[in-house]
Amino acid sequence: MDEAFEIEAQALAQVLDELDYFQVLKIGQNASPPEIKSAYYRASRAYHPDRFSTLPAGELKDNIGRIYKRINEAYVCLRDDTKRTKYLADVLGPERQKKLRFVEASEQELKKEKEQEVGATPQGRKFYMAGLADMAAQRFAAAERNFKMALTYEPNNPNFKAKRDEAGKLIKNDMSIR
Amino acid sequence: MAEPDDIAIGIDLGTSYSCVSIIENGQTTVIPNEWGERTHASVVSFLEDGTVLVGNSAKRNIITNADNTVYSAKRLIGRFYFSDEVKKAQAVMPYKIIEGENNSVRIQIRDNVYSLPEISALVLKEMKSIVENYLGHEVKKAVVTVPAYFNDNQRQATKDAGRIAGLDVLRILNEPTAGALAYGFGKDITQKIAVYDLGGGTFDISILEIGKDVFEVLSTAGDTYLGGDDFDDRIMTWLAEGFLKQNGIDLRLNKYCLQMLKEASERAKIDVGRDGSAKIRVEGICQDPSGKVMDLNATLTEAEFNRMVMDLVQRTFKVCDEALQSAKMTTQDLDAVILVGGPTRLPIIRTSVKHYFGKDVMAGIDPDEVVAMGAAIQANSLQDAKSNHYLLDVTPLTLRVGTVGGYTDKIIDKNTPIPIERSKSYTTNRDGQEKVKIRVYQGESSKAAECEMLGEFEFSGFRIGYRGEVRIEVTFEIDTNGIVNVTAADVETGQKTSCTIRLSSGLTEDMIKVAKEKNARATLARGEAAA
Repeated sequence: MDEAFEIEAQALAQVLDELDYFQVLKIGQNASPPEIKSAYYRASRAYHPDRFSTLPAGELKDNIGRIYKRINEAYVCLRDDTKRTKYLADVLGPERQKKLRFVEASEQELKKEKEQEVGATPQGRKFYMAGLADMAAQRFAAAERNFKMALTYEPNNPNFKAKRDEAGKLIKNDMSIR
Repeated sequence: MAEPDDIAIGIDLGTSYSCVSIIENGQTTVIPNEWGERTHASVVSFLEDGTVLVGNSAKRNIITNADNTVYSAKRLIGRFYFSDEVKKAQAVMPYKIIEGENNSVRIQIRDNVYSLPEISALVLKEMKSIVENYLGHEVKKAVVTVPAYFNDNQRQATKDAGRIAGLDVLRILNEPTAGALAYGFGKDITQKIAVYDLGGGTFDISILEIGKDVFEVLSTAGDTYLGGDDFDDRIMTWLAEGFLKQNGIDLRLNKYCLQMLKEASERAKIDVGRDGSAKIRVEGICQDPSGKVMDLNATLTEAEFNRMVMDLVQRTFKVCDEALQSAKMTTQDLDAVILVGGPTRLPIIRTSVKHYFGKDVMAGIDPDEVVAMGAAIQANSLQDAKSNHYLLDVTPLTLRVGTVGGYTDKIIDKNTPIPIERSKSYTTNRDGQEKVKIRVYQGESSKAAECEMLGEFEFSGFRIGYRGEVRIEVTFEIDTNGIVNVTAADVETGQKTSCTIRLSSGLTEDMIKVAKEKNARATLARGEAAA
């Protein structure tokens, strides 16, 4: 193995925990999916542990292993549009240092999120859906009534509240004639 | 080129047949045994004189020395005694399957008890000795293949088998990946391919993207309960029911008749695939109550055979749907389809695959040898620092941790590239708690009971404090073999413990050591050429 690579690998291992996934793969934050893939292949070519299987066990081998696991972790996150969007927001935000490693919401959290979106009670969901239909048909007053009804079943649903306010605003701006 | 000492062999350790290959003068070569046979029945027969017969000549002993001849051990490796597969095997296998410590499976031959890795190790010993005979010197290193859909327990047990056989197992390689490697290696192609791998006991499908020097597995899916054996079973049921109707005798009630029936069924399957129909004749299969010896005669047409197995073939395509969906692809995105495994020679498979994928299957690939060849290529390149292709493989199953109430929490998704790690923080549940226990599972259900338990991991030695005060960071790692390792650390003190997840029913280091000595002492009998 050449010395330059060894120095590079050891240096990278040192700073690994301070890099975001874009830096790990050495790509820009707006890289396209093909760019992400080719960066991943390039990184694999350099750091895949198979290339170092004859290397004796030790710090260098461990570090290469650690780097490559991070490369895989970066690729898994960035190749998925949804995860990538969330990750980018995370690392651009104020808590960057804490969010360098993407943590997916657990299944329960995702379920909760989805429930909050469409409602956790059958009646709440029913009125909320009716409200959305009214919004789409531009019947804003009816929509507001439905969202208010939905809120009687789930008074703390932030999504319901937001929609009620939105409908309320639209009513004020409604200048159509009948 | 590797030094002779460093030569590493590729072994396809199959449910029904095994095959061994090496790279010789830059060529991938399948090594035949002294009878010129290139594939070897994965059958181990313990002879009266204490020697062990492995391979095609051992296969004949399934009938003549049924109690002492073990076949299809791969169906049982890495499984719990209480699993359905073990119960099913007990009903049909003539050899004795017994319960060992901690829900493990053992096989009793005369007065000896063997673990499954010990049985597989004898097959591996035979493969090793075939190469040693051929090369004239010892070999110590190997890549051994497993079905892509094998879980951690099954991978661990296979690795143990290699160690017991005195081999340094460089890699546990997925069979379809090996197939793709043998197909694409050195060809300089850029393609998206599907590898349809129907073996004796398992079915795998992998979707890969092949670049100049890279083999990236995009997704894999499988069914470890579906293989060529199940096709034989259908013929067997048909034959047995026909015989029952005609003569009022159920051949399945006697394990010896059952073996003859099984052998006839396998032959009929091969004949019907090759010739379009099969004449089945077994002389003296049983005696009627008056002692008269009876023969079994039947003719199986291709149409009839196809009807019998259609649902099995359809089941493979459900699995293909799943793999394509995970890879976010349709059949139209694929450039080629490769068939791997003996049963894929059947016309019903070939036409159905062609119909499903909408393209011809690749010709010129030997479905019996391609996996061993891929393993040899990988074995060689792991020994060669200048090798310039690389495999990017994935974990086939979601890794989970048991939580309260019999549920599990996802840690690492299926189809995630490996090696990979993920850390999670946990805390203690009561004041003064000294130990935490983590149960690790693999599977696609959030309910623990519907997943496969890999093991229980106990961690102690962290700071003792009030409930919820101590933070323990647990790191789950899946290595390049697809094997799971767990480490835990006290976040505050940094104190670490680590352990590879060991199946509670798996072998301990001491057991492996003893088994290794036993394996080294075992003498392989030289059989004769199978007709």
